[in-house]
Amino acid sequence: MDMPKVTRRTFLKVSAAAGGAAAAAPRLLQAMENELGGRDYGPVTMAQRQAIPYTCHVCNIQDGAIAYVENGRIVKLEGNPEHVSTRGRLCAKGNAGMWYTYNPDRVLYPLKRVGARGEGKWKRITWEEALTEVAQRLDAALKEDPNTIMLKWGRDRTGGALIRFMHTLGSDNTMNHTSVCESSKKVGLEPTWGPDIETPDFSKTKYVLNFGSNVLEASYFHNPLSQRVTEGRIDNHMKIVTFDVRLSNTAGYSDEWIPVFPGTDGAVALAIGHVILRDDLQDSEFINTWTNVTVEELKEHYKSFTPEWAEKISGVPAATIERLAHEFATTKPATVFTYRGPAKHLYGSYNEKACMMLPILTGNVEKAGGYCLPRGMGWPQPNPKPPKPAKHAYANHHHHPLFPLASHGVSHLTPFDIFEGRTKVNVYFTYMDNPVYTNPGAQAVWGQLFKDEKLIPFFVSISTVIGEETAYADIILPDCMFLERWEPESMPNSLWPWLGIRQPIIAPLGETRETRVILRDIIHKLDPDGSRGMKQYWNFKDGEDYMRQHFDNIPGLKDVGGLDFLKKKGVWPIYGKLDSRTGKVVDKTGREIKAEYELYKKELSDSDMMGATIEPNGLIVKNGKAIGIRRNGKNYVGFPTPNRLLNVRVDEWAKYGFNPMPTFKRVPWHETMKDDELVLTTYKFNVHVQSRTASVKWLAEIVHNNPMWINPETAKKIGVKTGDLVRVESKVGYLVTKAYVTEGIHPKVVAIATGCGHWEYGRLATLKLNEKPQFGGTEDPDLKNVWWDDKGVHPNIIIPAIADPIGGSQAWYDTVVRVTKAGPNDKYGDVFGDFQKHLEAYREGLRFTYKGDLHRKMHPEMAHWPGPEQSQDQGQHS
Amino acid sequence: MLSEVLLRNDRETAEITQPAVVPQTSPEEQAAECRARAAIYRLLAAVFVEEVTPDLLQAIRSEALLAQLAEVGIRFDDDFTAAPDAALLEALAAEYTALFACTGGFPPVESVRLYGLFQQEPAFQVAETYRQHGFVLKKGKFATFPDQLGVELSFVAELLERAADALENGDVATQRKLEKTIKRFWAQHLGLWVRGYGRLVQRAAAHSFYREMGRFLTGFAEEEIAAMGLKVEDRDQGKLEVEKIPGKVEFNPDEPICNACVGSMAAAKGQGATVSVLHDLR
Repeated sequence: MDMPKVTRRTFLKVSAAAGGAAAAAPRLLQAMENELGGRDYGPVTMAQRQAIPYTCHVCNIQDGAIAYVENGRIVKLEGNPEHVSTRGRLCAKGNAGMWYTYNPDRVLYPLKRVGARGEGKWKRITWEEALTEVAQRLDAALKEDPNTIMLKWGRDRTGGALIRFMHTLGSDNTMNHTSVCESSKKVGLEPTWGPDIETPDFSKTKYVLNFGSNVLEASYFHNPLSQRVTEGRIDNHMKIVTFDVRLSNTAGYSDEWIPVFPGTDGAVALAIGHVILRDDLQDSEFINTWTNVTVEELKEHYKSFTPEWAEKISGVPAATIERLAHEFATTKPATVFTYRGPAKHLYGSYNEKACMMLPILTGNVEKAGGYCLPRGMGWPQPNPKPPKPAKHAYANHHHHPLFPLASHGVSHLTPFDIFEGRTKVNVYFTYMDNPVYTNPGAQAVWGQLFKDEKLIPFFVSISTVIGEETAYADIILPDCMFLERWEPESMPNSLWPWLGIRQPIIAPLGETRETRVILRDIIHKLDPDGSRGMKQYWNFKDGEDYMRQHFDNIPGLKDVGGLDFLKKKGVWPIYGKLDSRTGKVVDKTGREIKAEYELYKKELSDSDMMGATIEPNGLIVKNGKAIGIRRNGKNYVGFPTPNRLLNVRVDEWAKYGFNPMPTFKRVPWHETMKDDELVLTTYKFNVHVQSRTASVKWLAEIVHNNPMWINPETAKKIGVKTGDLVRVESKVGYLVTKAYVTEGIHPKVVAIATGCGHWEYGRLATLKLNEKPQFGGTEDPDLKNVWWDDKGVHPNIIIPAIADPIGGSQAWYDTVVRVTKAGPNDKYGDVFGDFQKHLEAYREGLRFTYKGDLHRKMHPEMAHWPGPEQSQDQGQHS
Repeated sequence: MLSEVLLRNDRETAEITQPAVVPQTSPEEQAAECRARAAIYRLLAAVFVEEVTPDLLQAIRSEALLAQLAEVGIRFDDDFTAAPDAALLEALAAEYTALFACTGGFPPVESVRLYGLFQQEPAFQVAETYRQHGFVLKKGKFATFPDQLGVELSFVAELLERAADALENGDVATQRKLEKTIKRFWAQHLGLWVRGYGRLVQRAAAHSFYREMGRFLTGFAEEEIAAMGLKVEDRDQGKLEVEKIPGKVEFNPDEPICNACVGSMAAAKGQGATVSVLHDLR
């Protein structure tokens, strides 16, 4: 038989004709999917490893995870495929989490300082000795004033144990870290719709305006949200537009990256709103029904925010703004996401509010693919609970007298309140915090504070390692790592609410104790027989017993076994099963488990309405509490705000002379920048948290230094090329680092990442491998693999402490710097911060507070405001 | 006692290298030798397992022991010999913490020395060995790991004392079994790390007490290994410097620049690129 002569040309022809037949052929092979996890085997023993579910805590996203244990050792971590939010995925940080546990730099015993503060001389002491000394100091402080006991935490996932401890002592002097994180975002959102965060429904949306979030790498809910961004982008063909000063990986993944001048996202958002309202693209019914303003009011209010006005401020062309406004308003569903980009500025709260207005204007709120409320779950606290302290501290993590709207505190100004005598401290506790590294001013401000034994007479650090802050402690109480302790968890990190636990995978190493046990032991030492009334609040045997008190009586969870269910599964509820092909959670029939939307439109039941009254404005009140809102003849639950509406006009802001309507204020010192001045911004790497990960081997190998990003145009002006040393000088200090010349940054901006440049935190973070004395490095064969000798340069020492007068957030991205080629005496890694100049900068920043002399100047539109005397400290003090 | 053991070891070392004459010792002499060795293990265990206690300090500062230590070349400075008890105990406690129990130190723990992490396989292996021989690890002043130096040394001391008992009771089989266990324990654990570790302590210690105890540990370990006729590699090495792994790398070791601009530019200008060419992985 003659074989047909098949050339490429002929078989292409055949192929075209055979398409139909090919499609009809049965497909017996399917692309192989990897196991989704949940099982693991020892490569040597081939035995199945013990799998224990937990909630990750390398960063604060709280991913569901599983630890595998072989012969008593944690050998592998991976995502929990039964977790509806994170769906079996765990980021690089999470995967590396076990290195924390076995880190030879861990503190495993109580340590007492024996040299000068910060000198690094310690003595190991017993728990009995440590607790006795701490209790004695607390006892003396309590006699003077409980509020002289301060506790500042960096990351509190204890489920209420820290507050319980301080309230047991009768102290209101509690501080968080939120003002160096995203507090102005929270304060921008809360008065308008209740919660302090949003959940953009990325997987179902068609269009995203992303203002200053690097959600694929670092921002809040990075893991669960980045999965949904990818789904939306690939499966749903969504468009994403990112406004950022820097070409982050999220910006690079976007359809458009729009470099925007720092702090002007709000102006762009207002201008987009202007176009939407001008061209009647808004959702009038939604606005008129569900907000406290009318479309007409908004049209009038937005009139002045033209694209041309925004272009002058932001550098974003008016034509681009016009186009994006039309795209956003006419593509349904659409959503907005923001993170620190808009919020970390002098008036960050205004920026956040302006961005949030876009989904409100277009009615994209609580829609599938829209801008949704967060979904979380709570849990009860063990009884009895200590009462709130009777006497208010000068400031706490909810309140500062100069920042009455800053509901998440202004903790980064704490040193100045102590320096200037407004806050007195006898005993300072720190927990999972490191402001000497993470806060503005860093060692120049916080180091100065902790060195001073008159200002901080006794300093107790509950810590796992000696970092930059703990190095100044008088007593170190060794805390457990997250794989060794119990903690309750829930995070609104997807549209499906869940409860979870962290549980000990292995017993705590050395003599470390979990936080709540340490706090209990301190209280029991202070009140051994219960006669002081403190011990009653710390009535639990161990961490597990405490968890039972949280979890065993939660309706629904109780029915399936309470804590025992969580110990087995790690998370509750289990919504369905993860489909290995789609990565989606599906029910028994294979259909995707749908999220609930329009939560505000849930109707109140007859029993809810029994005994309720309806006010003329539609507010439904029962037992003196607003429970819903009547709209179009129906009784809805509404939004979780006091008036059950979206408060576009925030009347509380007006009480303090701030504009209650969406607005924008430019950073005054940005307006007067000279040609050779630039704005310094910082950012986070995808493998590092602020300060705790530099000692984690896998992560340090991936990223360990942070050259300064600078635009080629700018670099050319100062004669700098990639790799050159540069001197970066702000009004409070200077540093010397390396330049990385890239088009991926705004020409008026330089960016230096955080997470590098440690001077404490163990041998790998500090790279003190070859220094004398020869501690470290030598005992760890892995450290032979340390092929890098550059640990980077940390920028916070040259960033002054400035707070948003509304939200209290640190203005991380407002620092004006001069960048020059390094001089002959400049060495890589040189850093200097002048304490007095930091103090001056702080005082200058206070001029923008509602009591400051620049407040009125910045708010001419609020000329009718009677002044601070009429609004003295009406802020909530809780 | 101390010098006797070290002398015996010296003789034995010589005998291994010149095995012509093997002295015959009586069971009583062998038992005494086991007890003497056990005493040294216990001394070193006490030094490394926890901070020096007042009792231990008093014992070590006794004229007799100082003299015996001096005979084998262990000589402390005035910071140990002339300091008042209370101040010395404080200074030693601080030194112990700096060296062995805080961030940046080097814990005397086999897992850390050989794997760079706490509680790795050696911890579980030695715990199992202890269990097989009827021991459990109890908490001293502080909780510690089963593969902590002091615990491993204590284990050998216990076995040596059992061996001495066996010898005194004429139970040669048990004594031989115990000797084998000790040898195996050295081959699998102590021998892998304590010599180099002792050198590291010697170099890093600021106080003469730990400096000399580091020397003593290394010297004693070398003698024991030689006496048992073991050939075991010191994997610890107590190296002073971290060495970069030689050979080609798949990245530019002259980071931080993540792209190849500098190297390419330098090469273009004839300045010699520092960028390693990636392997062709095909």
